[in-house]
Amino acid sequence: MGEKSKVIIELFGFLDVTGEVIGMWIILGIITLISLIVRLTLKEKPGKFQNIIETGIEYLDNFFGDTLGKKKSRKYFTFLATLFIFIIFSNYSGLFPGMGMTEFVKAPTSSLSVTAGLGIVTFVFLQIAGLRHSVKHYFKRFVSPMFFMLPLLLLDEIIKPASLALRLYGNIFGEETVTEELYHILPIGAPAVMMILSLLFCALQAVVFTMLVSIYLDEVTEE
Amino acid sequence: MENSGIIAIAAAMAIAISTLGPSIAQGLTAKSAMESIARQPDAAKDIRSTLIISLALMEALTIYGLLIGFMLISKI
Repeated sequence: MGEKSKVIIELFGFLDVTGEVIGMWIILGIITLISLIVRLTLKEKPGKFQNIIETGIEYLDNFFGDTLGKKKSRKYFTFLATLFIFIIFSNYSGLFPGMGMTEFVKAPTSSLSVTAGLGIVTFVFLQIAGLRHSVKHYFKRFVSPMFFMLPLLLLDEIIKPASLALRLYGNIFGEETVTEELYHILPIGAPAVMMILSLLFCALQAVVFTMLVSIYLDEVTEE
Repeated sequence: MENSGIIAIAAAMAIAISTLGPSIAQGLTAKSAMESIARQPDAAKDIRSTLIISLALMEALTIYGLLIGFMLISKI
């Protein structure tokens, strides 16, 4: 798509580290730090911080339980929740002042490479989950109503991750670009209008992404 | 480039036309969701979450147009 990012560091001569990758490192660091703090200070009687995290995890558990059913959602909870937490952190990282204005730190999901990576991971996960669930069901799904549906269903399998990636990328990139344009028009005040909208859309996109993944997962692992 | 005028019009058309369909669809969706909430206020929570997700899915179609618009603009 003719996307260009400025290479900031070259690791080992062939790994190009761009602003998005640095943003991703910071987010991974923050998530790891939070998990470590919660894990190390785990108590029977939860404190304030542990309570917040527990509420969040319970919300996610209910959210996936609604679409997948309790048993299946618990089985695949680690992958789905990781996806959700990573996407929501990367989406919100674009709202921090200065993110995206410099070349050095950018919101990871505003780059097609990152969202395409998430799409590919999801694709592989769905195939493996389907095959592990039942090989017969996996192959039967491609010819399920009629035999001539095969090419369409194969195409559908590839379009799913592509549309997931494009939807997330388009939303976040569009938001960032509009905020930047507003900044050029009127530096004080104008970007805030778009940023308030972004507060809603960023969470929504993470919800939609994981919701769709869990619907696809429900499709491939149905009894 | 001599084609930049055409590209600018194409970018404007891409976002303008791709807004039309989803906006009508979103209006219809919000309308029927409101009607069903008014009829059954107990189910408001379920309806709201389904509504938001379906709105976001329609939003994606507009976003595809926006992406094409940005890609075209970068060609000028």
